[in-house]
Amino acid sequence: MDTKGQVKDVIVNLLKVKPEEVKDDQSLEQCLGVDSTEMVEVCIALQKSFGVQIQEKEVAKYHSVTEIAKVIEGKKG
Amino acid sequence: MKNGKIAIVGIGVVAPSGIDKRVFWANIKAGRCAIKKIERYDSSLYPSHIAGQVHELDAFSHVSSRLLQKIDPFAHMALVATELAFKDAGVDLAQENLNRVGIFMGNALGGWLYGETELRDLYIEGREGVSPYMASAWFPAAPQGQVSIYYGIKGYSKTVVSDRASSLMAIGQARKILLRGKADCVVAGGMEAPLSPYGLLCCNTNGDLSVNNAHPEEAYRPFDKKRDGFVVGEGAGLMILESDSRAREKGRKILAYLTGYGTTCDGVDRIKPSRDGRQLARAIRMALDEAGYKPGDVDYICLDGSATPEGDESEVRAIKEVFGAAAKDVPVSAPKTIFGNLLGASGALDVIVTVLAMEHSMVPPMLNLKDVAPECAGLDFVKDKAREKEIRRALVISRGRGGINAVLAVERP
Repeated sequence: MDTKGQVKDVIVNLLKVKPEEVKDDQSLEQCLGVDSTEMVEVCIALQKSFGVQIQEKEVAKYHSVTEIAKVIEGKKG
Repeated sequence: MKNGKIAIVGIGVVAPSGIDKRVFWANIKAGRCAIKKIERYDSSLYPSHIAGQVHELDAFSHVSSRLLQKIDPFAHMALVATELAFKDAGVDLAQENLNRVGIFMGNALGGWLYGETELRDLYIEGREGVSPYMASAWFPAAPQGQVSIYYGIKGYSKTVVSDRASSLMAIGQARKILLRGKADCVVAGGMEAPLSPYGLLCCNTNGDLSVNNAHPEEAYRPFDKKRDGFVVGEGAGLMILESDSRAREKGRKILAYLTGYGTTCDGVDRIKPSRDGRQLARAIRMALDEAGYKPGDVDYICLDGSATPEGDESEVRAIKEVFGAAAKDVPVSAPKTIFGNLLGASGALDVIVTVLAMEHSMVPPMLNLKDVAPECAGLDFVKDKAREKEIRRALVISRGRGGINAVLAVERP
């Protein structure tokens, strides 16, 4: 699975939302109504899933799945 | 003075005896005991491991699984009971000024299932193992917040933490706020989820719980010679309150009026109430005076029934002090013997039982009173099955640990 698909998977499993609700190019706030507290959970789940360290500022609720996947790919080198 | 009265226009109940109010009343009327052994985890080493447990909450729930991850079961039960109450009342919040809708809830323990699970994760996984929702999920006012967010309610609101008297006090305060014109409509009551491993341990530490684990259905027996404490239960009871004039204007079905309220403290001990019952008697008089009732006007008293030596004796003494020779003629019962003592939510459940009893003209029964203790004798206890009787005016007594007394006067429309 590509990084984008894996990011989506993490979000779907964590937030118990339907896969089709997660839009690649909309911010998580826009498509899912994610708030800053939920974003802390998303951040931790992504760190666990990808085995990378992510700062809260790097992945925020106003980022889209595509943007988040890019941040993670950059870290994986 | 009907316009000075506050009307109950809807009720929502989530209880071990049922979630739908019709099922709930049918079980109360028949005296069908809902107290069983706790089997959701191994509780066998707890001194008391029996309780009234809520089943089928998910079948009645409108709460998304996404939200359920962020809240404790006590907030879940409050959300479900609130939804049922609004539906029962026929209140359409889209038509209400949400700045004038309030929430008054009572709770004693907080949401320990969420709290203890996250604390375990803190010690095992470290800081990152703890849900960021921990901070807003466990504390006693969390259900008030969740209900507020869910419906966008923004009016005068408060959570009362006053041990087992919490929800009756919340309803009493809601009534005052409505009488002062600070809100148009209030959702009032309480919720409690004391059956998590740590919550149950806390309940066991005060020594007030029955240890008759071998016979769960016979364990909760207030005023009986063989009583050995109460049995806990989980659940929520919420009701929608409005002024009489507004309720009529909106065409609501008025289920009952809240006509008086009194509260006092014993101020003698950390756990036990004062054996003389004088402060409870004073609270009863306050409620009667506010309602404009004479003791002879009361058709039913819903008892606290703590099943402890001091609790039961002082309750009977207080009633005798206020009612005098007429005390033996007023039907009394502790219907919580059927489904357990819901601690901070117990008073709200008792108000709901009393309202349903008025509607059906039946005094709800209490269970397991076989042999009345001599110090508790002299009242007309209604045992085992409901008794047909018209109830126009009633009192509900709710008491917390350390001698907190709250009494509410309720009247049939």
